[in-house]
Amino acid sequence: MAVNTIIPAIGFGIVTASILAVAGVGFTLQFGVTNILNLAYGDIMTAAAFIAYLVTSAGLSVWLALVAGAAFGSVFSVLLNRCIYTPFVRRGTRLFGMIIVTIAVSLMVQNGLLAIFGANFFSLKMSRPAPVHIAGMVFTTVQLAIIAIAVVAMLLIHLLLRYTKLGKAMRATAADPDLARNCGIATDRVIDLAWAISGALCGLAGVILVMNVTAFTDTTGAQFLIPIVAVAVLGGIGQPYGAMLGALVIGITSEVAAAIFNPEYKDVVAFVILVIVLLARPQGILSEVATRKEVAA
Amino acid sequence: MRLAVTALAVALALLPVAACSSSGGGSSSPASTLVVGEFNPFTGPDAAFGPEMVGGCIPAIRLINAGGGVLGHKMSCVQEDTRGDPADAVPAAQKMMATETSLVGVLGPSSDEALATVPLLNTGHVPMFVDTGQAAFDHTTDAYFWRITPADDVKGYAMALWAHQAGYTRAAAVFGNDAGAQSDVPTLVGAFTKLGGTIVYNKPFALDQSSYRSEVESILATHPQVIFTEVDPQTAATFLSELQQLHGLLPVIGTEVSLQAPWLKAVNTAIGAASMAKYFEGMQPYAPTSGPAWQTFNKALLASGSKVPQPSQWSSDPYSMTYYDAVNIMALAMLAANSTSPAVFNKDVMTVTEPGSGKTVVTSFAAGKAALAAGKQIQYVGAGGPIVFNQWHNSTGAFEAAKYVNGNLALVGSVSAAQIAALTK
Repeated sequence: MAVNTIIPAIGFGIVTASILAVAGVGFTLQFGVTNILNLAYGDIMTAAAFIAYLVTSAGLSVWLALVAGAAFGSVFSVLLNRCIYTPFVRRGTRLFGMIIVTIAVSLMVQNGLLAIFGANFFSLKMSRPAPVHIAGMVFTTVQLAIIAIAVVAMLLIHLLLRYTKLGKAMRATAADPDLARNCGIATDRVIDLAWAISGALCGLAGVILVMNVTAFTDTTGAQFLIPIVAVAVLGGIGQPYGAMLGALVIGITSEVAAAIFNPEYKDVVAFVILVIVLLARPQGILSEVATRKEVAA
Repeated sequence: MRLAVTALAVALALLPVAACSSSGGGSSSPASTLVVGEFNPFTGPDAAFGPEMVGGCIPAIRLINAGGGVLGHKMSCVQEDTRGDPADAVPAAQKMMATETSLVGVLGPSSDEALATVPLLNTGHVPMFVDTGQAAFDHTTDAYFWRITPADDVKGYAMALWAHQAGYTRAAAVFGNDAGAQSDVPTLVGAFTKLGGTIVYNKPFALDQSSYRSEVESILATHPQVIFTEVDPQTAATFLSELQQLHGLLPVIGTEVSLQAPWLKAVNTAIGAASMAKYFEGMQPYAPTSGPAWQTFNKALLASGSKVPQPSQWSSDPYSMTYYDAVNIMALAMLAANSTSPAVFNKDVMTVTEPGSGKTVVTSFAAGKAALAAGKQIQYVGAGGPIVFNQWHNSTGAFEAAKYVNGNLALVGSVSAAQIAALTK
């Protein structure tokens, strides 16, 4: 296979990885702190994309649409947790039960979007300038913007987790919520903030996803959920740095596979790698310990 | 006592069986409303199919009821959502047959659910006017199966002929990895090769990915002159916009899927109206928007705004026309057989459509009803043109190529049934 096919594919993989990284880190952060496997995540991404669509349709900048999408994802996620998930957790709903609740929320959000916007395809109104060639790879300016957004988001998450009290509190809550509470950490507030931050990443991911795919519908985010879960599992569920690494592996592998093999199997190749990695390291690439804990509330 | 209990148990056990058989094979009670099931996806990825069907069924029912109905019965269209998934379609078919006691036929199923539900409907003696294009039904012996839209493999011939007429000799085949899209590919490849062309790229696409940039690079490395395609709107919009951004567009020839409103809207927004008009053409069954049958259909359609949202969008839709024709054919067959029982009138579907000397050609239900009442034999010629079923209940016509210009479809040429027939020999 010619190098001039693989090198561009790696470039394309970096774009896909950028979207997956933002989405995957949000997803895994959410699960890591709250232990709720939120399968409505993809639908919240879609809802944020529709908010961005409304913003750009009103003639406002796509940058403002990104902020609006992230803000929506953040607020919606906090409200979702407080109004729906937390009452279930407080009534003793366990991990599997919560998964069913999140599926119900997913269906409600998806059908709500269908009722509001209809079964149509939508596009963000934004300019799409000519491509740029960098080291044998081809990017559009939109894709370069997506990569930059992902890098900045990952840096901010790194700074938050490593160098702030909130980050330490989140890590402590993720490791053992009861112990964290007994140590004086306001875990309720930490969990709220975890939903807010992960929700913002979710909203941001939804907007950059539809910036990239051009046309989207009420199921676009849900279709993207499986690779997001794969990224989180590959990196070690609950491990933001693992999700970043997982996003790179899955993003680049799937694009290179599409260039070399049959594009029909681009997902299959990525998931074969996922299975192989998990056979060797069941806890994921970066997770030190496979945690066994219940839902935090 | 024990005998009475046993008899009651047997009677109760046989009750659903009796109900099911009466739905398909029995006559309707006097003055009951005869039901035509719109058996297609109304939700899910192929949710666009259902409204297209409504755009054909409602105008037909409107005219039939205005014309006094069928043997004293009014008719109605009832939506049965298959969700485009056999897992949902099978119970939907069973429910429909069990609960719609005056069911006289269905429109559908589509390719999404046909393999799972055609046998059920056939066993239940329910005439079905399918919109599936699957080649598996090219030689079906199911008596209640009727197809008045061309099979998918015929579509492949039409696309190859159209590209050949335009002078293209190198083509890329970009089809989704779903069964419906893949059923187009073998005949397309075979026909294009037979015409002297080369398919330089032919790999199924995984649908609804976030990116197709690697596929774009692989395709361009093979230097095609034209792209044949059938993928869903989201995939098409992403793929074609990336092709446009990275290297510039190539001529694209799509199937009739690409001439449906959601596809056109998504891709038009993604690549821009000017590029759409310049590079894109779609092939669909030839359905002339002229002639007395079409005028009757269109007038009834446009008057059905209360039940058909934006009815004008279906005026030139060949599938809406064939659904309209299917309902008329069923109604005329019932009149010809003097029975509303599907088991009785099913054979008359052929009788009222096949050409023959001395037959009166009719282009509407009202004209057909009047001719039958006068003791004449009829040939119904529909809004979609003449319908001539072969021994396997398939009827195939010509194809037209259309462009999307200024928000409207414009006819740019056609491939005749004779050209297709010559290629299939």
